[in-house]
Amino acid sequence: MTGFARDKTAIVGIGTTEYVKNIGRSELETSLEAIHQALDDAALTPAEVDALYKIETPGEDGNSELNVARNLGANNLRAWGGFGYGGGGACAPVVYAAMAVATGMASVAVAFRARNRGSGARPWSKTGARVRDTGAFEAPYGLVSPVQQLALVTRRYMHEYGATSEQFARVSVSQRSNASRNPRAFFRDPITVEDVLSSRMIADPLHLLDCSLETDGACAVVVTSADRARDLKQTPAYIAGASQGMGPRHYMMNGLLYKDDPFDMPSLYAARDVYAAAGMGPEDVDVALFYDVFSPMVLWQLEAYGFCQPGEAGAFVEEGKIDWPDGEIPVNTHGGSLSEAYVHGFNHVLEGVRQIRGTSTCQVEDASVALVAAAAVVPSSALLLRRQA
Amino acid sequence: MTSDMIAERPLPEITELTEPFWTAAKARRLEVQRCDDCGTYRFPPEYGCAACSSTAYTWTEVSGRAELYTWTAVHPPLLPYFAERAPWPLAVVQLEEGPRLTTNLTGVDLDEYEIGMALQADFEDLDDEITLVVFRRG
Repeated sequence: MTGFARDKTAIVGIGTTEYVKNIGRSELETSLEAIHQALDDAALTPAEVDALYKIETPGEDGNSELNVARNLGANNLRAWGGFGYGGGGACAPVVYAAMAVATGMASVAVAFRARNRGSGARPWSKTGARVRDTGAFEAPYGLVSPVQQLALVTRRYMHEYGATSEQFARVSVSQRSNASRNPRAFFRDPITVEDVLSSRMIADPLHLLDCSLETDGACAVVVTSADRARDLKQTPAYIAGASQGMGPRHYMMNGLLYKDDPFDMPSLYAARDVYAAAGMGPEDVDVALFYDVFSPMVLWQLEAYGFCQPGEAGAFVEEGKIDWPDGEIPVNTHGGSLSEAYVHGFNHVLEGVRQIRGTSTCQVEDASVALVAAAAVVPSSALLLRRQA
Repeated sequence: MTSDMIAERPLPEITELTEPFWTAAKARRLEVQRCDDCGTYRFPPEYGCAACSSTAYTWTEVSGRAELYTWTAVHPPLLPYFAERAPWPLAVVQLEEGPRLTTNLTGVDLDEYEIGMALQADFEDLDDEITLVVFRRG
């Protein structure tokens, strides 16, 4: 896997709405707001946008590429697409934006994500009287939601590797500490391991504070060619590597339990290919933005992306090695989905860009390479961003 | 948040692909698909084999012997049927033939759940059409 257009494209603009419980505007309006802000940040105009890629989720209110293009005044779209698979798609719109620009199919590509998740109903609450596909073999037994699916995987991980609830809690504590410095973060009050362990049980062994926020908000980034990026307003975040990864016999989050080895996760494949694409390894990464819908998922990505051996991430976290500023590999310096906002991981892409620019509220000193990884347990995607090409 | 949710226990939608499983369960047999070409047992039901790509398969009765692979107990907010019975235990079991199933255990208290415990398939009639495969101590 060496075919990726290494460093041929860059993220040159980022934009975001506020992250709140009820934003009071449609996902189309928040998408437009984030995109306008990202274009302003890049000093580019809506009329120059000729590609749009998004994370898409069933039930969105009207922020299709079609509707966004018309309302944005992007009247010459040459490439577009939407990516599913929930948090596994977090990096995918940027991967495809880079591909469209690198091949010359488009020149200014916007990738975005909007979701009114704080004010909307949980998807599982819409479970019907009859359930199909794999759900037919799960919902009658009471298994309907991601946190329940993850709890089953987490219990098995604890059994195989001896990981503990305290170690998972350390992830939430570390990220909350980072969020306390971030004015965009929804939750900013510091917490302790004891706070996490005494928060109410959602699906044993996962407590409330092991789970991500539910917020409303939108994020966007602008991707253009490396040549053009050098002449723009912001320090470019060059896209050194990009990947998607699935692996064998996968389903959605429930599917881990049906695989021969549930820890043969999609992130292993995304990791292999993003490092190969960039010609890098974990030793080159200065800061990691990991998809963290539930705290154990950060441990699995630390292992998949090579920061520690399988089964060793619990101890790694417990020793403070993911903590900003002194840890070996600071993780989720914005607070992540556990404390900043839940935007299906797209806010992690923006934080990666901030780290490359040197503008994070938890800036890693001299950060030159940022890893952004989408959900470990569903068809996944990843990016390696760097300061100088 | 409970207002729009279904009150009853959700049921499977039976399709052309999955009908043999439910018909067997009604007759108190546990059947899964087995690839005609490479012999791999598989669950959940699929049209093709991930191991060898063959689309030929036969629904095959298995022993029902299994062990507890993992479990959780889920707490509200839940669908009303389960919320009324919370904490509601969920189990994933591994059949001795290999495949894993999501299920519930019967006759096992929550504090007795132990990964690796021996189990045996059992059957719970929900209505005239649907019988669930559950597991009891083996």
